[in-house]
Amino acid sequence: MGQVLRVDLTKRKVLVERLPKELALNYLGGTGFAARILFDELEPGMNALGPENRLIFGTGPLTGTLWPTAGRWAVYAKSPLTDIWGESHCGGFFGTELKFAGYDMVIVQGRADDPVYLWIDDDEVQLLPAKDLWGRNTAETTDMIREALGDREIEVACIGQAGERLVRFACIMHNYQDAAGRTGMGAVMGSKRLKAVAVRGSRAVSVADDERFMELAEEAHRRVLEQPQAREMTKYGTPLLVAYKSEIGELPTRNHQTGIFGGAQKLQADTIRAKYFAKVRSCFGCCIMCKKVNRIQEGPYAGLISGGPEYEGIYSLGTNCGIDDFGAILKANQLCNLYGLDAISAGCVVAWLMECYERGLLSRQDCDGLEPTWGNHEVMVTLIEKIAKREGIGDVLAEGSYRAAQRLGKGEEYVMHVKKLEISGQDGRTHRSVALTHAISVRGADHLRSLVTVDQLGYEDTAAKRYGRDKLPEVCDPYSERYKALVVKDAEDTFAIRDSLIVCWYSCGWPPIFWMPDFAAVASAATGVEKFGKLEELYRIAQRICNLRRAFNVREGLDRRHDMLPKRFTHEPMPEGPGKGQVANLEIMLNEYYKLRGWSENGVPTKQTLDELGLSDVAEELKRLGRL
Amino acid sequence: MARIVYAGDGCTGCKRCIVACAHAHDGTFSLEAGRIWVVKEEPLTDHPVVCVQCVKPRCQEACPVGAIRRVDDLVLVDEGACIGCGACAEACPFGAIALHPSKGVAIKCDLCGGDPACVKFCPAGVLKLKEPAAVVQQKGARG
Ligand code: SF4
Repeated sequence: MGQVLRVDLTKRKVLVERLPKELALNYLGGTGFAARILFDELEPGMNALGPENRLIFGTGPLTGTLWPTAGRWAVYAKSPLTDIWGESHCGGFFGTELKFAGYDMVIVQGRADDPVYLWIDDDEVQLLPAKDLWGRNTAETTDMIREALGDREIEVACIGQAGERLVRFACIMHNYQDAAGRTGMGAVMGSKRLKAVAVRGSRAVSVADDERFMELAEEAHRRVLEQPQAREMTKYGTPLLVAYKSEIGELPTRNHQTGIFGGAQKLQADTIRAKYFAKVRSCFGCCIMCKKVNRIQEGPYAGLISGGPEYEGIYSLGTNCGIDDFGAILKANQLCNLYGLDAISAGCVVAWLMECYERGLLSRQDCDGLEPTWGNHEVMVTLIEKIAKREGIGDVLAEGSYRAAQRLGKGEEYVMHVKKLEISGQDGRTHRSVALTHAISVRGADHLRSLVTVDQLGYEDTAAKRYGRDKLPEVCDPYSERYKALVVKDAEDTFAIRDSLIVCWYSCGWPPIFWMPDFAAVASAATGVEKFGKLEELYRIAQRICNLRRAFNVREGLDRRHDMLPKRFTHEPMPEGPGKGQVANLEIMLNEYYKLRGWSENGVPTKQTLDELGLSDVAEELKRLGRL
Repeated sequence: MARIVYAGDGCTGCKRCIVACAHAHDGTFSLEAGRIWVVKEEPLTDHPVVCVQCVKPRCQEACPVGAIRRVDDLVLVDEGACIGCGACAEACPFGAIALHPSKGVAIKCDLCGGDPACVKFCPAGVLKLKEPAAVVQQKGARG
């Protein structure tokens, strides 16, 4: 164990490297490893779609074990959508299979002359021609590879036509319905002319202290199965959030103009369960089993059977476009999966276009004769196709909403983004901690790197346990800035560990089951590294990872100016619902957050902070570039 | 005698049973060394496959060295005697017997000595240790 597969597509060379011990000890796994590698190997300002970008497929020390959500894996590269740190996590079975083949990580660099795919069969690794696969969707690609290699247990991570055409928010797909969705990792893969990575592993993975590990894993298993919200997740999946968020007035609607959506009931989890539910599915070894397959029986989309959508898809392709037709959402979500598009960004660029059209900034002619009005689901579905094919207006939208607005010279004020990443399905006006989360997230307007749920869903006991009873009630008040910097920083640290181990967001942030102490115990049992078991040490590693990722972005020219929110969140009060009149007061939280992080007022890690975390070389590099 | 049964509904295809099985037998995690498998088909099929402990086991008939025997209603492989030819795997009508990826000998469900790991770790709770007759009753197929 402890091997890294290094693939140079330009030279068509494959090399097995040993995992450096310092990397394992100082950075834990997954996201930690990637932070160090991308910082070390990439030049600031480089083109994310150039051959010199690295595309890393990562696993962690828990991957493939019986910890209840250890089937996750992740992809890292500089993002072509945001031009900064890119990271995207995925479920299914690919990471597990990679680990069983004997690799902790695959690092891909260079660019192939002709399309290829990588075939990893334990020790035997080959680059095979992908001429027949190029132009195929992700389901066809998966099936064709399994067929060609004669083994249906092969796990495939691949791109669809969107990645081939360098749509800036193309994703990497696996297992038909699992996506490494955000930040355009599929475009990086497409730029390398790497159609797929196929893997089969016959080896075993072991942990350092098996007895202790199994004690922890069994207890964790029990805790998940006993958690009522986790049971609900098994039954309904993430669409549960539609009703919660509707109730608190934070269901982003019509390009985030409001948090109240009239058609919410049609998209609620109980409606979906009653009318469309077909099957529960799950990632490797998971006790939450949140995935659903749905079936449409009537209407224009009758006959459709597909995995998904998640809450985020319902938001982006549904409520955010003013659409309440579940069939259309499932259809669009399936198209995103087949073409390999990030369903969040895809829905959000359509929502942006709709707002521009509704406000008269764009004409019917500008939109290829389509009428992208709120709720027009046929047009939404058509636009998804056009984006994937880079056809007409789709070619402009394929650049992401930030670049699209610049290209058209219109609608810039309606681009709902942070750092060029389309915003995920939360609203900082009615959920204050998420305002800070969106603003500071290392990959742009993203919830998953530090989303705090205690103030959104009112988990008082969890908040008291994690942050102390003295922080109540403010810490759970969604309309108060108080303590939000503290809890966001703590979540960001915890999630850096979660993403390095690598385990799922569900059972960590929401429902709130595992937190740092649980991760410390299991990390040390799994690896035998004692210091991982000490909370302080684990927090230090977490901070090291967060600072290094931040330094990656600082090196690309980012600072406080980019930790912003769309004006809509800071200047347009929530127009209706329980949060009527609320706006996000970002600056207060930002100051507090920088202070807690040991960063300058300008949001740059200080030399002292970096030195303390063992990142003196990073401090020097930033200094050399005049960024410190 | 009880065996592992799946009533045909509720498997989510997570494969936790496979790894739990491998771990119970080898002390390490693996998808290849499990004695239970999950067949997955798009878009709606996930189905565990495991030895049904046949009364007249084809695997036993096929084994050229007599390494497979029925003991107390359980079909067992004598790993010491097994030569790893795979004849049993070919003969099994269910695909419930395979060769161990590193040891090379035939492996199949032995009910973990009475407390099967797959049943214990199945998060959906759909794998059960039951008498076949009880399953028939549960499914209402007969009287
Ligand atoms: S909770 Fe859902 S996404 Fe997370 S590991 Fe389990 S099945 Fe996968």
